[in-house]
Amino acid sequence: MDIWLIINLVAGIISVGAAIAVFNWVKKQDPGTERAKKVAKWIKDGAESYLKKLYGALGMLAGGMAVILLIVFGIKEGFLYGLWMALAFVLGAACSAVAGYMGMMIAVEANVRSATASEKGLNPAFNVAFKAGSVMGLAMVGLAILGMTIVYLIWRSPQIVLGFSFGASTLALLAKAGGGIYTKTADIAADLVGKVEVGIPEDDPRNPAVVADNVGDNVGDVAGMGADIFDSYVASTVAAMLLGATLSLTTDEVTKYTVLPLILCMLGSFASLIGLQFVQVKEGGKPGTSLNNGTVYTCIIFGVMVVAAMLLGGFDLAAMWATLAGLITGVIIGFTSDFFTGDDRPPVVETAKVSGSGAAINIITGFSYGLISIAPTVIGIVVAMLIAYFVGEASSVITGVYGVGLAAVGMLAISGMIVSSDAYGPIVDNARGIAEMAGMSEEVVRVADIMDAAGNTAKAITKGFAISAAALTVLALFAAYASEMAIEGINITLSLRDPMVIAGMFLGAMTPPLFSALTMLSVTHNAFDMIEEIRRQFREEPGILKGTVEPDYVKCVSLASQDALKALILPAFLAVLLPLIVGFLMGPESLGAFLGGAIVTGILFALLMANAGGTWDNAKKYIESGNFGGKGSEAHKAGVVGDTVGDPFKDTAGPSLNTLITVMSLVSSLFAPVIAAFHIFG
Amino acid sequence: MDKHLYLSMIPEALIVSMLSPEDFGAYYAVGTEKKSRGQAIFCEVDPNFRHDELPIEEGFRRCVPHENGDPKRSIYITIYRVLERVPLEAIRTLYLVTQDGRVLGLPPSDTLPQDTGGLHLYQEICPIHPLIVSTLGPQEFYDLIVKTPASLLTVPAICFAEMRLGELADNPEYGSVGDLPYPNLDHLRECLADLRTKTVHTKMVDRISPATFPYRTLKSGVFLGNGQKLLFFPLPSQEELRARHYRWWRSANM
Repeated sequence: MDIWLIINLVAGIISVGAAIAVFNWVKKQDPGTERAKKVAKWIKDGAESYLKKLYGALGMLAGGMAVILLIVFGIKEGFLYGLWMALAFVLGAACSAVAGYMGMMIAVEANVRSATASEKGLNPAFNVAFKAGSVMGLAMVGLAILGMTIVYLIWRSPQIVLGFSFGASTLALLAKAGGGIYTKTADIAADLVGKVEVGIPEDDPRNPAVVADNVGDNVGDVAGMGADIFDSYVASTVAAMLLGATLSLTTDEVTKYTVLPLILCMLGSFASLIGLQFVQVKEGGKPGTSLNNGTVYTCIIFGVMVVAAMLLGGFDLAAMWATLAGLITGVIIGFTSDFFTGDDRPPVVETAKVSGSGAAINIITGFSYGLISIAPTVIGIVVAMLIAYFVGEASSVITGVYGVGLAAVGMLAISGMIVSSDAYGPIVDNARGIAEMAGMSEEVVRVADIMDAAGNTAKAITKGFAISAAALTVLALFAAYASEMAIEGINITLSLRDPMVIAGMFLGAMTPPLFSALTMLSVTHNAFDMIEEIRRQFREEPGILKGTVEPDYVKCVSLASQDALKALILPAFLAVLLPLIVGFLMGPESLGAFLGGAIVTGILFALLMANAGGTWDNAKKYIESGNFGGKGSEAHKAGVVGDTVGDPFKDTAGPSLNTLITVMSLVSSLFAPVIAAFHIFG
Repeated sequence: MDKHLYLSMIPEALIVSMLSPEDFGAYYAVGTEKKSRGQAIFCEVDPNFRHDELPIEEGFRRCVPHENGDPKRSIYITIYRVLERVPLEAIRTLYLVTQDGRVLGLPPSDTLPQDTGGLHLYQEICPIHPLIVSTLGPQEFYDLIVKTPASLLTVPAICFAEMRLGELADNPEYGSVGDLPYPNLDHLRECLADLRTKTVHTKMVDRISPATFPYRTLKSGVFLGNGQKLLFFPLPSQEELRARHYRWWRSANM
């Protein structure tokens, strides 16, 4: 098996190397006029300053958590084991931070270069933006593979890799939630004062919050999203490795199936690297089609690689079918989620149409479609899970739950391509903003508009993909938790006649809505502060609105940063401490039920929020494109209200829920041996 | 510093200012000390124009720079029955100002737009501002209101704009609304349908329609007439606006 692990290391190095090479290529592109460079620098400085503060705070948190792990596992399993666990945790957090940082730095370098390249046409502009997005995808996959493989090679223990995953997830949760709070605070405040009160257009340089808004796109949609998928990617792999380690096989066979998830990651990274080459757009072509083609080609290449590797490597065919079930279902779910949020799809058109009757009807309709959108994805998750489970159960080699774990890995193995498409969105969004602020030509803005529309579609597809993959991941993590407890001699049965189980389930079910509320309330509180600041600037310096005086962009950027970090404290403690409190206080069965409840409501809320938010957003855009009265109509006013309500749904609370349930599952699995030994009730 | 004479349509007023039309438009829309905002439509008037009933000379005399050297932004000469007293020969360019102060100048055209048939929607801007639907083209509509009124209702001078009706111009009952942002569209459809079934040339849609409106709804441009002459200030095509007046176009399309 070591040869596979060596190939894995090589794959990780190739991915990171390719990311660095593309990073350098993007940086060599023309950054444009002095004004464009100045605007880009504002955004870069704002993003760097936020990340510095965020990572500083996270560094202290990671350090504290590492000490706790060292003490807890040092006492339970011995000092050396505790030390390794703490080191793995720190390494996981560091890898996640580096992936997010690299992605964000290239995004802030690429947006101005993509805007400048737009002067030459769609092809060069798309090329810069997508290649920059691929830096994030390649770096994330490469660092994850390198980190997991190195940790496994050194300690040969999936439990230690679990520590690595916990580190990555803890950082991801805070990066995602913090970025989500930041980006929506700036976005809502900039829109409410700029557009509604003062009447200036989007991305207008006279708006004091315009730079904070663009910084938010980077820290929320690039750094946060990258850390989020990094977390799911690692967690799904670790869950499958843990389940592989519990198979009743010979030692060699167990090692083989423990390493298999890592092999799948390696194949996925190669498939993504090849698939990325297919993403090209000609002048007059459609960027959205190119992005989708890239995803489809990557899936096909990965599918062929999986079949070849399973046959050549002598793996049980059930493992192959389980992996393919995850991959195919992931793609189908991704594309069906586009149905609920696509620009001209019935749910969006219907929501736009009823907007003429007011904001209330718009909100009810969008919310209802968000609720309906849960059904196909959940059915897809259930189908993938059942196929993977029964294929596994039918095998004499692997188990059903291991099959579920492989299905999750199958979905996420092509994350390199998925993240590349996703990161492209905020880059072109910012390119448009820079073009506007730097006073670039109308042709530049037109090209940026075309690229931006494709980014929105790609985002809808990858969001569906990410949520469904997270769902399978946490199911596998739940199974991993049960098997960790089984190792400690505790059989998790989850009888609904047991009041402790019911209590745990309710507490778990309560957590995602509570977490969502905390993050969304943070957005409204912080937006309130920033609105006051923007109003103050307009009031005290009339020259801003006339365009003769430059606003104080830095003030809004630092306000958004400090408020976002403050707002993270409570949700972070909720995610990490609540499972431990339930576990130590109410026992392993209650904690199992707690996870079950959290997984169910977490997935439902994540789907509802992502898709309802997307429906409202695109309904507004559909009206703006000249339907049902267009801009300035009553329908448009209602559409703007719906979109504003949906903003924190789809960009703050919704995407953070994946990570929340992953973190809670990881905390539970990691501390399972300790909770098994020390708990008060149950 | 040069002094300019401006005829504002919203509200109707004659103003002297030291600001150029672009600066005056921005100032008029967003103010100076106050955080105000609002569309404006005004014309630049020949500074040599004088009228016995208007204290223009006094306005010019009072229009002096501030103590710190800043130009005087506005001296209101009069705010009542101005349009009817300004001969159209003295009118130069008409300016459309967006709510955030972007200014677009429209020079007058020698020709009126061709009537493409169908029904018409007119937003009167000055001196009164009802919203009217009509079977008449702009020239006939102006004649009916100012020159040869068929009823007791008439005005000595008028500023109005023809607004887009899209498919409703030919098919009031079932035509697609498309990007027409007008409120109470069912009522508008009924008014348009009445023009087909009743023997009237005009019908009032809204007695107190706001004089400000989304500029993107302008069909051809703005008309200004005072009984002797009808001036037409054509709006450039959407393509030209995007290409040559992008900032204004973007602001007007919010």
